Amino acid sequence: MGVDAALTGPAAGLTDAFWAAAGRRELVRPVCRDCGRSFFTPQIACPGCLSENWAYEPSTGRGRVYSATVVHKPPSPGFVVPFRLGIVDLDEGWSMLAELVGGPDGRLPAIDAPVRVTWTERDGRVLPAFTEDGVTS
Amino acid sequence: MRLDEIAIVGVGVTPQLKRSDRNSLQVALDAAKLALADAGLAHTDVDGIAARWPGPGGTVLAPGSADWSTLLGIPLGWIGDSYPQGIPALVDAAGAILTGQATTVLITGGQAGVLGGGRVAAYTQPGNEFVEPFGAFTAAHFALVAQRHLARYPHARQGMAEIAATIRTVGSANPDAVMAGRGPYTAQDVLDAPPVVDPFTLLDLCLASEGGAAVVVTTLERARDLPHPPVVLLGAGMEWMRQQYVDPARYEQVWDIGAVAARKAFAQAGIGPSDVDTAQLYDVNSLEVARQFEALGFCGPGEGTDFALATGIGLDGKLPTCTDGGLLAFSHIGWGAPTLKLAEAVRQLRGQCGDRQVAGAEVAIAAGAGSGAQYYNLALLGRAR
Repeated sequence: MGVDAALTGPAAGLTDAFWAAAGRRELVRPVCRDCGRSFFTPQIACPGCLSENWAYEPSTGRGRVYSATVVHKPPSPGFVVPFRLGIVDLDEGWSMLAELVGGPDGRLPAIDAPVRVTWTERDGRVLPAFTEDGVTS
Repeated sequence: MRLDEIAIVGVGVTPQLKRSDRNSLQVALDAAKLALADAGLAHTDVDGIAARWPGPGGTVLAPGSADWSTLLGIPLGWIGDSYPQGIPALVDAAGAILTGQATTVLITGGQAGVLGGGRVAAYTQPGNEFVEPFGAFTAAHFALVAQRHLARYPHARQGMAEIAATIRTVGSANPDAVMAGRGPYTAQDVLDAPPVVDPFTLLDLCLASEGGAAVVVTTLERARDLPHPPVVLLGAGMEWMRQQYVDPARYEQVWDIGAVAARKAFAQAGIGPSDVDTAQLYDVNSLEVARQFEALGFCGPGEGTDFALATGIGLDGKLPTCTDGGLLAFSHIGWGAPTLKLAEAVRQLRGQCGDRQVAGAEVAIAAGAGSGAQYYNLALLGRAR
C-alpha cells in the first residue's frame, strides 16, 4: 500500500533548521514567540496557542530521563544491538526520543537521571543523543 | 432505533498464518465471503462497507472503501475508512445504520504477503524523522511506558509473565491459532525467552502474522431472520490522545487511556465491569492486559497484574480473557487485528467456541490498541434478548 509523502512527510521547511543545527552539533527546539512555549516535535503552529509565530532557539541540551529502555532486537539493518533508547525531558520544558550513550559503565540511566546532549552519526547524518553527566551533586 | 438494535450477524476469519502466499486484498475478500456465508447473506445484500482498500488496484486519487463497489459489483449507500478496523468501524457502521444510510454493513480487512523475515514488521517501524533514526519501533514505545510502570510497581513483572503464559497456553490449545500446539507455557518460559526491548521478551509480545477478518453488521430486526443468535452492541467508547508513534507516549498520560471510553460504554450499556463474562482485550503485550483491567475499572491503579492472577484469566478463571489466544498466540494482522477481537467476542456470545467456550457468556468486551499507541477503543457486546 503506497503512502502519500505529501501527507506523511514534514511540512516544507518545518524541520530543515533542526537538522541543519544538528549538523553543527547544536540542539534547537521550536519556541512560540506569542506564548513562550517550547514544543517538540515541530508543528506548523504552537500546540498551546495555535500561533504560527514561532522560531527555533538553542537548547542547553540539559535535561532528565523520563523513561529508558534497552533495545535487543534490531528494528532494521544498520542498528547495532543492544542499544539504549530514552525519552528525555529537557530543562526548557520540552522532550524528545533519543539514543542514550556513554555514561558510567554504559548502564541504563535511571528515571530522572540528569543527562546532557551529545552527538552520534548514522548513515552520514548527525543525530542528537544523551549521556549521563556522571557527576552526582 | 437504539444502540442495542445494532447486531453483528456474521463473522469470518480466514486461516491465520505466519506467512501467507496471498495478498492483503485477497484475504480481505476471503474473510468477507466467510462472514457473509456465516450471516446467511449474499454480497448483493451489502449496501455499506468499511474496509479501506488494502490494494492492489485502488482508485488513483484516493483508494478506499469505495473501491469495493467495483470488486463486489454492488452500489453502496455508505462507506467508512476508519483506522484501525474493529471497534471504530463497528461504531461507524452503527451510525450509518442508525441514520438510515445503510442497512447491512461489511467490515473486512487484514494483511498478507507483507511480512519479511528476521526484522520487525514494516508496519511497526514508524517512518517519522524523529522516530525512525532512533530505532523506536512500536514495541519500544510500549516499553518506555512499561519501564516507568515497573519502576513504580516492580512486582508487576512476574504478573506480566503469568498473563503472557496463560494467554499463550490458551492459544496453544486452539487449533486455529498461529501458535497452535507450541505450548503450554510457564511464566518462567516468558521470563527466559530472548529479550526484545526491556522489559519485554519475545513471549511478552504479540505476533505479526497474516490473514483476514470480517464481520457483518445490520439491524436486530433483520438479524432475527438470520441463522445465528444475534449479538448486539450494548455500548462503545473511543479515545485518541495524540498522533500515534511520533511524540513518545508519556506514562502518566496514557496509563489509563480507555478509562473515559469504558465509562461511556458501561453507562450506555447500563452495566459494570462485574457483568462482563469474557474480555477480548488488546494484548499487544503482557502488561497491556493488566493495564486494561485498571483503566477499564476492573481494579484500582497498580492492581492490574494482581487482579489477573487473583481472578483468573484462563479458560477456567472467573474472567476468561483473549480466549482464542489473542494477539500473543492466535494472530495479529495489523490494522485488521481489532476485528479479530469482535469475531471472538461474537463467537463466545453465540456459544460456538467448543473447547474454549465460556459457559453462559452473555456480555463480552472487545477492544483495540493501547498506551504506547496513544489511542484506545472498546465495545460491549451482548446476546440479544
